[in-house]
Amino acid sequence: MSQFDVLFQPLNINKLTIRNRIVSTAHAEVYATDGGMTTDRYVKYYEEKAKGGCGLCICGGSSVVSIDSPQSWWSSVNLSTDRIIPHFQNLADAVHKHGGKIMIQISHMGRRSRWDGENWPNLMSPSGIREPVHRATCKTIEVEEIWRVIGDFVQAARRAKEGGLDGVELSAVHQHMIDQFWSPRVNKRTDEWGGTFEGRMKFGLEVAKAVREEVGPDFVVGMRITGDEFHPDGLNHDDMKQIAKYYDETGLIDYFGVVGSGCDTHNTLANVIPNMSYPPEPFLHLAAGIKEVVSVPVIHAQNIKDPNQAKRIVEAGYVDFVGMTRAHIADPHLIAKIKNDQVDQIRQCVGANYCIDRQYQGLDVLCIQNAATSREYMGLPHIIEKTEGPIRSVVVVGGGPGGMEAARVAAERGHKVTLLERNEELGGQITIAAKAPQRDQIAGITRWLVMELDRLGVEVRTGVTADAQMIRDLKPDVCVMATGGRPYMDQNPAWGAEEGLVVSSWDILNGKVEPGKNVLIYDTICEFSGLSAADYLSSKGSLVEIVTDDIKPGVGIGGTTFPTYYRSLYEKEVVMTSDFLLEKVYREGDNLVAVLENEYTGQHEERVVDQVVIENGIRPNEELYYELKEESRNKGQLDVEAMFDIKPQPILSESGDGMILWRLGDCVSQRNTHAAMYDALRLCKDL
Amino acid sequence: MVIDWLPSVLIVVLLALGVIGALRRVSLWRAGQPEKVNLIAGLLAMPGRYLKDLHHVVERDKYMSRTHVATGGGFVLSMVLVLVVHVFDVNEQIVAWALLGALLIMLTGAFFVFKRRLNPPARLSKGPWMRLPKTLMIYALTFIVLTLPAAGILPEGAGGVVLTAVLSVGVVIGLGELLFGMGWGGPMKHAFAGALHLAFHRRPERFGGGRSTGLKPVNLEGDVLGVAKPSDFKWNQLLGFDACVQCGKCQAMCPAFAAGQPLNPKKLIQDMVVGLAGGTDANYAGSPYPGKEVGNAKGGPDEIITAGLVSQETLWSCTTCRACVEECPMMIEHVDAIVDMRRFLTMEKGETPNKGSEVLENIIATDNPNGYAPSSRTNWAADQNLAVMKEKQEADVLFWVSDGAFDMRSQRILRAFVKLMKHANVDVAILGDEERDSGDVARRLGDDATFQSLAKRNLATLGQYKFKKIVTTDPHAYHCLRNEYGDFDTDGALAGVEVLHHTTFLNQLVQSGALKLDAFKGGKVTYHDPCYLGRYNGEYEAPRELLRSLGIEVAEMERSGFRSRCCGGGGGAPITDIPGERRIADMRMEDASETGAELVAVGCQQCTAMLEGVVEPRPEVKDISEILVDQLVEEVH
Ligand SMILES: Cc1cc2nc3c(=O)[nH]c(=O)nc-3n(C[C@H](O)[C@H](O)[C@H](O)COP(=O)(O)O)c2cc1C
Ligand code: SF4
Ligand code: SF4
Ligand code: SF4
Repeated sequence: MSQFDVLFQPLNINKLTIRNRIVSTAHAEVYATDGGMTTDRYVKYYEEKAKGGCGLCICGGSSVVSIDSPQSWWSSVNLSTDRIIPHFQNLADAVHKHGGKIMIQISHMGRRSRWDGENWPNLMSPSGIREPVHRATCKTIEVEEIWRVIGDFVQAARRAKEGGLDGVELSAVHQHMIDQFWSPRVNKRTDEWGGTFEGRMKFGLEVAKAVREEVGPDFVVGMRITGDEFHPDGLNHDDMKQIAKYYDETGLIDYFGVVGSGCDTHNTLANVIPNMSYPPEPFLHLAAGIKEVVSVPVIHAQNIKDPNQAKRIVEAGYVDFVGMTRAHIADPHLIAKIKNDQVDQIRQCVGANYCIDRQYQGLDVLCIQNAATSREYMGLPHIIEKTEGPIRSVVVVGGGPGGMEAARVAAERGHKVTLLERNEELGGQITIAAKAPQRDQIAGITRWLVMELDRLGVEVRTGVTADAQMIRDLKPDVCVMATGGRPYMDQNPAWGAEEGLVVSSWDILNGKVEPGKNVLIYDTICEFSGLSAADYLSSKGSLVEIVTDDIKPGVGIGGTTFPTYYRSLYEKEVVMTSDFLLEKVYREGDNLVAVLENEYTGQHEERVVDQVVIENGIRPNEELYYELKEESRNKGQLDVEAMFDIKPQPILSESGDGMILWRLGDCVSQRNTHAAMYDALRLCKDL
Repeated sequence: MVIDWLPSVLIVVLLALGVIGALRRVSLWRAGQPEKVNLIAGLLAMPGRYLKDLHHVVERDKYMSRTHVATGGGFVLSMVLVLVVHVFDVNEQIVAWALLGALLIMLTGAFFVFKRRLNPPARLSKGPWMRLPKTLMIYALTFIVLTLPAAGILPEGAGGVVLTAVLSVGVVIGLGELLFGMGWGGPMKHAFAGALHLAFHRRPERFGGGRSTGLKPVNLEGDVLGVAKPSDFKWNQLLGFDACVQCGKCQAMCPAFAAGQPLNPKKLIQDMVVGLAGGTDANYAGSPYPGKEVGNAKGGPDEIITAGLVSQETLWSCTTCRACVEECPMMIEHVDAIVDMRRFLTMEKGETPNKGSEVLENIIATDNPNGYAPSSRTNWAADQNLAVMKEKQEADVLFWVSDGAFDMRSQRILRAFVKLMKHANVDVAILGDEERDSGDVARRLGDDATFQSLAKRNLATLGQYKFKKIVTTDPHAYHCLRNEYGDFDTDGALAGVEVLHHTTFLNQLVQSGALKLDAFKGGKVTYHDPCYLGRYNGEYEAPRELLRSLGIEVAEMERSGFRSRCCGGGGGAPITDIPGERRIADMRMEDASETGAELVAVGCQQCTAMLEGVVEPRPEVKDISEILVDQLVEEVH
């Protein structure tokens, strides 16, 4: 009797029954430590998804089969050694215990890697052509090496099977070795491994044959492919249909995963993990096109975030399985919540791509808004239990993401929580960030928190500027200070903030200040805020130049997000200037003159504009904290050792009068949303 | 003098008239359909049934049970002695004294009946029933005075003609009520019909503490399916209706009545009486069907009931909760009657209201009420690693999953139960896609043909496999399997098989130590007895014992145990959906909230759905298996 029944129809892949139609597709987690082993963190991360009801987890995105496909950059899983087998057994048990199934993506990444570390290999590729995204030069692979790599695939598949995993997925997507052979853009060979269609297909086919030979008919062997590389000299949708059909007819492949776009330029890479600027399921048609020509189930992931969307896709029969990969990173209990009729309690992925942008920097994958993800092993919970200790009165000052998360967690623990916010609306800086074009979905982070606070009965008082007396009167046992910060425009007095010559990016995005006609944005931070202000102003018709003293505007933004900014900014003819400091601003008649100084030559340039916007980060709002600090039981201090160990703050179990005062988020120092929410969760989970 | 003989003559005349009336009454019952009963054995058993079984029910109201023993006992004894003393003129003072004693007892009893009637509870009917204690007292007083001479207290002929005349009037009034009224439909009819109903009850298994709750099968080859006219009832059902004392205990317990739906079980039985005797309900002096006026109903033994006597809505309002039956001192079977009449509406007329016909069509086409693809029945268990009988052939326990398999909320109950069984290492299997709806809903909606077909097909499937127990989380399926399939189990598919509700089974596992549980840490818990578990199957204790084993002290609702109030989900009532002033589920939730509970424990997916449908804020609702699973002591591997 649920509208989502269609998602809960089990379906077999080969002989393997998947309990529902929702898959967490392969993603490089960057958690396989100890030389690429799936240790505790890794296992718990997948166990949580299985516990949450996920039908199939395909783990180990881009896990390597050979030692000359380096794994250490992304701490991906290393299948080139038998050492992995017992680790897989733990992993498989943990997932199977909860009724889930688990497979692993295996690959040789070819040229899509880095050679300057680990074993310092020569990277290999069909024709030795450099890969731009990783700036990776490579050699032309020799036939002996080809056969060795095929043998490595076989051994890797054997290890997965011996480790009790349910299947392997051959990566022929995102420009790994197999699709490097497929793509005429990269494969210029004239021998039997290139040239003709059959020649380009041969490597993948030999891999599939040899792997099937090893694992037998019943073990799942799938293949992930692109639906269109979106390069004029690459594989288009018709080519991909032909390829899919060709492999399907061999009967060696049990399912196809389909992804839209190639991945070997910055611009195509952004398509692969579509951020919040993309519409829902932008490439579904490509997957549906592949489904038309193959006889086995098709999986598709790319911006499917919502159960209704998933349901609609499966119901219409476009594909058989829906990948909800980031959706699971943001909320591994997504499916349990659908089943429990708690759809509006799902913490929906907002497409901030914090996860993937960390991955591309070789950092462990984390969710911007869910600090418990992948920290399950440390004891950070997704489902927060009620306290068995005393019920405390908690006052949270500041309704940004950190304060709201603190309030949510404290309320889940069963405490009596009051949240005070100066603005009429909750959300803090997220609300500002969401004002920019193509960034509105970021507000999903705080929208969910607002709904949860409401559900949990937190007393939310907006439009209230808290002062010390007000907090004393509330007599909190714990006061969480999360008052955020304010734009830092007076670092250099010559910018003229005092005189009102410059405005902040906040005021621009908030619409507090009318956009000028001719605007210079000075951005020292080089993250979202500066480019968002530029995008906002140019979309309102301003002529915009964004200047930074750093390497390039937006340089701090990750690989799947800066391209979508650039697409928009270049189109609107925003000028991006690097390496210039803003020395001073002065008024000249109706205009403003911005004096710029070249970081490296000291040379000066002037811009005559009518508006100067400063994006220089923020300074903490810490006055209230200092006012209350002395009278608090803990003098505002955190036991950082306990906090880093995810242990309760010792003061919670000590008796004493008065309030405990904690400070988190940007009112301590400027960090980011995740940092504020992580602190909130780890502090309040033991309240 | 003639006048001296008058009282004796009157006694004889009224006795004769009473007997004639009684014979006429018997002929009215005989218009019903034949049903075999052992007349002699029944009559012999009758006094015992009266003293034990009937009084067991009446005992619940101590005041009434005492006054009834005094009044009824006093009357029976005095009537015999009146004949001895005043008709056969036996002149033994000791007999006269005995008669005086009997009359005094009766007088006392009648006086207390009178007192109760001064301010009667709303459930009681008024009208002639208000008169009864007075006429009973007149009878007693009259015969006391008449007997004084025989007892030697007054000289013969004292008081003269005037007194004799007055006493004669008293005899006419008293015996008119008691003897004439008994035969001709006055309130005292209950004594006569009630006694015979005890003797010839259609469910003799109920006597001596037994339970008989399964509906009787329809003969699908019969001329009419179900009951169209009063004369389509079995003769002893008609007799049963006549036994009604209009005490209104049924009405006071009926959830549909309380919700303001157009059903009052007492009125329904009285309408049946109108129907069997012919006439109108103009003289009915009790509470009406909510929202309907009294006086417009008329019928006769051979007139279609729903064409003027009882409206269809009345019949479809019933949740088949059996609260009325459980409460009725006269052991009348309301649910049988209601379902009998529904059978006619559904099978002969195709007039099941609202979603009813759609649901029946679904059941026929897909073997489940919501019309899900039969092949998706086991989807819920895709990740449960449950053995399927088809492959396993044999298991200790067959887990009857029931149609909760299709419902996400119910699946949580199923999964919890599976987890508990796995922890206890139960050797269990399911039928998988071979299972079909138990037929419960079809049967309660009057479609016995579909029920019978489902029962037979399920039995044929069950017959292929070996198992010792059937366990189910669904009390409705439990009831069908345990109490109703037997009528069709010609091949003995269930012979020697124990059918258990999951709470009973889990309780065995917990008590034997096979399941280890932590103490429950939440707040106050109350327990809602599902009708089909409690009243239908007498299982009140296992769920409570389970909760106790978690350290929960159940905060009982006022209406609990055999007096539990239905959740509103039975008998297809949510499907026929007859409007009232309130929703039954809301009332039940109020009962629960009054205990201050934060959690309502239940043992039925249907109750869970109904109670969870109540708007928040309200206590949480969980099946007992869900509560247990949270307290499982997980072994660390
Ligand atoms: C952190 C991260 C790492 C990923 N790494 C891989 C990978 O190694 N191999 C791969 O085939 N896909 C990879 N993907 C792509 C995902 O499998 C998926 O296609 C993508 O996230 C779009 O689906 P979604 O919108 O449901 O998240 C990665 C995605 C994320 C978020
Ligand atoms: S970081 Fe962002 S894109 Fe990644 S899962 Fe979380 S919300 Fe989604
Ligand atoms: S079975 Fe329940 S609902 Fe039906 S008449 Fe009796 S008390 Fe009322
Ligand atoms: S049916 Fe039974 S309970 Fe109801 S009024 Fe008649 S005697 Fe009383």
